[in-house]
Parts: sequence; C-alpha cells; structure tokens
Amino acid sequence: MNIKHHPTDQTLMDYASGKMSQAMELLVATHMTLCPKCREKVAEFEALGGAALETANVMSMDAHALDHVMAMIERETANENVVFREMPSTRRVAVGESITGSAIPSVPRPLANLLPDNVLSLEDIPWKSLAPGVKHYQLKSIESKGTVRLMKIAPGVSIPDHGHHGHEMTLLLKGSYIDEIGRFRAGDVADLGNDVDHQPIADTAEECICLIATDAPMKFNRLLPKLLQPFIGI
Amino acid sequence: MSGTTRTRPGPADPAEAKRCASWIVAVAATQDREAFAQLFAHFAPRVKAYMFRFGGNSENAEELAQEAMMQVWRKAHLFDPQKAAASTWIFTIARNLRIDRFRQRKHIEVDDSDPTLIIDDSPLADEIVDRDEHAVLVKSAMEELPADQKVVVELSFFEDLSHSEIAEQLDIPLGTVKSRLRLALTKLRGGLEGVS
Repeated sequence: MNIKHHPTDQTLMDYASGKMSQAMELLVATHMTLCPKCREKVAEFEALGGAALETANVMSMDAHALDHVMAMIERETANENVVFREMPSTRRVAVGESITGSAIPSVPRPLANLLPDNVLSLEDIPWKSLAPGVKHYQLKSIESKGTVRLMKIAPGVSIPDHGHHGHEMTLLLKGSYIDEIGRFRAGDVADLGNDVDHQPIADTAEECICLIATDAPMKFNRLLPKLLQPFIGI
Repeated sequence: MSGTTRTRPGPADPAEAKRCASWIVAVAATQDREAFAQLFAHFAPRVKAYMFRFGGNSENAEELAQEAMMQVWRKAHLFDPQKAAASTWIFTIARNLRIDRFRQRKHIEVDDSDPTLIIDDSPLADEIVDRDEHAVLVKSAMEELPADQKVVVELSFFEDLSHSEIAEQLDIPLGTVKSRLRLALTKLRGGLEGVS
C-alpha cells in the first residue's frame, strides 16, 4: 500500500500518550493497521512515554504492597489451575496479496469492532442518505467527546464546504478524493487543524468511502447544511 | 507514607534495561517471584506517581499501581523484548489501565493478528532494533532537552491536558507550547537517528 499522507507527529504522540478522544483513536488505530511506518513512530513515542516514566518522580508504595499483590496473584492462580498462555502471533500478509484495486479488502479490526456483527465489508454498511450522492453511517458506542462517522460519496460529488471547530481527521478507505491540500487514496489520512476550510471532491469514477473523526462537531459553511445540522446530528 | 520523592535513577545503560526485560521474561517463563519483586521495586513507585498525576489521590494511585503490576504478572507472556523495552511495555500497561479506569473505556489499538494488518516488507524493516539500547537513548535524549521543552513533553505524557491547558498551566501562549513540543520532537528524533 502506497500511503502518502499520514497523521502528524503531534497526533501520533497524542495517541501514544493516551490523551485523544476515542473517535480520533479509532481513526489512528485503523490507519496504523495499514501503515507500518506510523506503527513504528507510535512505538517510538511509547518509548518516550517509558523514558518519561523512568525520569519522572516516584511515589513510594505502601509497606505491604508487594505482599498484597502476591496474595492476589496466588488466589488467582489457585482459581485458574492452568495458566493461559499464547505467544503473540503476527499473521504475515504480503503487501501485494492483501490489497486489490484501490480499496481496503476487508475492514481493519479497530473499525470492524465498532460495526454491527453482520457487516463484513464496507459494502454491507447500513448507509443513511445525507444529501444527493452523500451517504453516511454514524458509529455507535463512542464516548461523547468527538464524533466519528463513515461517509460514502458518489463520483464527482463534493462534501459540503466546511471548516472545523477542533481537530478533524479523514481516513480514506476506498476510492480517492481531491481537495485544496492534495489527492488522497485508500490508506491516506488528512490531518487538519481548526483553521482549515476545505471541500473534498470524489475525483474518480469510483465512489469514495472515508472515516471522519472530529474532536468537536463539524461546521458547514453553506446555509443548507448548516440548517440541517441539528436534525441529522452532524 | 507515600509522598513524592526525588527521581531515582532509571536504567543508565542498556545492560540495566536488559535486566528489566529479563525479569519480565523470567516471570513469563517460570513465574519467577524474585524477578517479579525486582520489577515491582523498580516500576510500581513510578506507575504510582503516574497514576497520582491523573487521579490526584494517593490511595487511588496505590490501588492502580498494584493493579498495573498484577497485569504485568498476567500479561508477561505477551511481552516481546524485540518489540519493546520493559519501560515502554509497562508504560503502555499503565496508560491503558488509566484510560480504562478514568475514562471507562478501552484504548483502541492495532490488533497484531488482524488479517488486514499490512507488514513492511522492505529490507530495512527486517533490521532488528535493540529496544533496550533504544530506550536508553530516548531517555538520555530526553534528559538533554532544555528544561522548557522537557516540561512540555512530560506534561504531554503525564497529565490529561490539551495543548491549551498546558499553555494555561505554564502561563505561556498556545503557539509557544506547540513550537516547544515541535522542537523537542525534532531534537529527540535527530538524537536517535544520529546513533542508529
């Protein structure tokens, strides 16, 4: 997979330090599944977290803390009898065989975990129409801070011109789009701050499916979508 | 008594970092209690301080540090010394437990057994990074940061503060927080690339 656009270092560091909204985390983890480079960067930021742990102040534990923990472990082991043991396994998928065409073959697990059980591919998603040529699907069980939704955009259609109150990220899962920043293909992430206004257009004959996560509701610049906002829950 | 005390030195060289990793491996292989006691002595007070900065109450922090160390015991068989140093791995356990308890949800992560996982098959990717050496480099790079950059990095990892909240706490403009962080990251990355 030839990914050209990645989350910023700052975004990856926020992911590693664990201070993002769940909506943003979902998008970053989905991208990381497809992007070994960003996985490695996050591993580096986690090493930085480890270094912060090593260099920061310490707080002494209660005198019997270790005994207490050992006692809890004893109890647990007695209950279990058998120690569950599984080596971490990595199923190697060669890049060539896992990607066909311009779409993600099946849904990466961080995202799949939040979709209904019967959804096995992006095609099975129970889309809801939002505007001509634009469908969306709001993901459930995400903490209230931030929003995350999938959008499906017909060829040649543009997402209404919008700016952002907060941080917005878009991960392309199928097709491609073009906006003021550049061309985005499957696997690419547009990581935008709050001062960017943009109007993405699905620019090939193929429909475009993307995951959009925000830290705050999106604000649309045109009248009609703005009026719709309270009703459709964008 | 559980007050905050001054920094105890962490591993200063890869040999010490490797010792920490070997303790986790020993816990996994033979349920080695002596090795666990060593891990506990080194990491529990650090995890407690970490939790304290998020929870603000030492009883809570004590309980969460104990819980984190229980997870270290339970998950020791999942530790892979080629993927992470001990400090890195224990940091992620503490981070995930904190999110679980304070925000009542799971930290969303990559699943290593996900069939859609893309593996880097470029020749460089096979080069084995010594994670313990790497951890020591990161730590010394961090210690060498100018104080104003270091504090911004620490607050990023150790408190649930947004950049604007960090700005407020340090009484500096938001732009300054962002630029200090950017400088720190550039320096940390530069320091690492220079060696590897």
